[in-house]
Amino acid sequence: MSRLFAPAPTPRLLAAYLVIGLVGSVILIYLLHRGLGPRGRRWLIAVVTFVAGLFYGLEFYYPVHNRKNFLTDWIEPVSVMIAVIGAFTVGLGIYSLCQVHGRNVARRRPGWPNSLAFFVAFLAMLVFGLWSHYTPVGEPAPKVLPWQNGVYEVLFNGLFAPLQTATFSLLAFYIASAAYRAFRMRTAEAALMMIAAFIVMLGQVPVGAWITSGIPLTSPWAFFRLETLGEWILNWLNMPAQRGIVFGIAVGALAMSLRVWLSLERGTFFSEQR
Amino acid sequence: MATLEHANWFMRGLFAAMSAIIVASVLLAQRGREMFIRRIPGLTAIEEAIGRATEMGRPILFSPGLDGIGIITLQALAILAYIVRLAAAQATRLIVAIRASEVYPVAEEVVREAYDAAGRPEAYRPEDIRFISDEQFAYALGTVGLMARERVATNFLFGGFYAEALILTENGRALGAVQVAGTPDPTQIPFFIATCDYVVIGDEFYAASAYLTREPTLTGSLVGQDIVKGILVALVLLGVGIATYLGGAANEAHNLLWQALARGSQ
Repeated sequence: MSRLFAPAPTPRLLAAYLVIGLVGSVILIYLLHRGLGPRGRRWLIAVVTFVAGLFYGLEFYYPVHNRKNFLTDWIEPVSVMIAVIGAFTVGLGIYSLCQVHGRNVARRRPGWPNSLAFFVAFLAMLVFGLWSHYTPVGEPAPKVLPWQNGVYEVLFNGLFAPLQTATFSLLAFYIASAAYRAFRMRTAEAALMMIAAFIVMLGQVPVGAWITSGIPLTSPWAFFRLETLGEWILNWLNMPAQRGIVFGIAVGALAMSLRVWLSLERGTFFSEQR
Repeated sequence: MATLEHANWFMRGLFAAMSAIIVASVLLAQRGREMFIRRIPGLTAIEEAIGRATEMGRPILFSPGLDGIGIITLQALAILAYIVRLAAAQATRLIVAIRASEVYPVAEEVVREAYDAAGRPEAYRPEDIRFISDEQFAYALGTVGLMARERVATNFLFGGFYAEALILTENGRALGAVQVAGTPDPTQIPFFIATCDYVVIGDEFYAASAYLTREPTLTGSLVGQDIVKGILVALVLLGVGIATYLGGAANEAHNLLWQALARGSQ
């Protein structure tokens, strides 16, 4: 098995494997597309889903010896195969983007310069990203164009990363506005939530501890110190509710997995065709 | 090669028992046994939200979240199929904003088949299934831009959401869209509750396809999972009772039992 998944020993053999793999995949997809009707496709999906689910299920549940069973060695190659198949869909995503934005530019729809900006950004990242990736390295440093890595650095670390961070920082303002709406005391539940949140928040900051610091730690009223009360709300009221939700989610996920694995969902998922 | 964790005998037994209960419940439902499902407001609101978009003559936006193909996204796509059928019947346009490229072809297939099932294959527009970006915040901003440009009347957010959840829903709210959201992630549920009109929480998310279609197989599975939850709650209560009344002896027995079970996995 390790020989089957070993890297190609020479670049020429690697190129041959790539060509054979690509041509073989195209022929297989073409034959499946032409040869299978909707029923055949549904049947194929059901079989592949069942076998894949069985593989991972058996690997997890089958008894192990020295932390391995007869399927454990196959986990990594199978995961890599799935990742490779998934990677093909990136092309579909790019195709969708180019189709939508290309149409906007061609028909001069409102906002078409934004679509043009997409193409400029896409090509710039593609060209300079690949160029930077394939820059030769070594000692002594090989001669490269002065801006060969610089443009990519500016595009990625100077533009893309700060934009991501700026978007993330917007969350602070969104949290404030959402909290304001949630805490308006229009109902008894909202009032209860507001009071609980107030205690928990005060319990987390020094000023909260200071407000009730007059209650001695040994007093029977020590429970009402804000830091203790806040912790009690978090650990004794919030945690059981969270765990209850997680229990439900886990069982729901199991039921859904069984339905998908045994293709019981197909009536809904792959809608009935007329 | 990294070795994965494996199940011990307790996990094997629990998994087998839970699966058997769910499958038995499915079989009972398929044989015509009546099963009751309580009302879930978040799911009942789906029709109302689609109706509003139809009245306003504006499109609907659906986001299946950030996750790739997995149980959460598959459930989101099952909900999408139902929403597309309703929207198609009312001739309302629906736009799907995709983050994970591997979800894109599956979503395309689900939407196309749902339009076929609704008897309106000509209404299917491939360009309405949009791959936005695989970067979290680029996806969030791209989707918000789409909401604003298309002036969507209704937002459906079902799937796995993370920090971008609030960016999507706060902007949707600012645009005046009716928002129905559902996620199994407990950390994002509070944000959705604060910003959306209707929220499907926790395991209600997995109940959606059964609740919406009332197919016996799915209803049976839903009732089966409720029975399993009841058994788990009983086990928790039993454990709490034993730990409370037996104290240290219970802890010792628990440790011995757990060690024996761990040996069982070897």
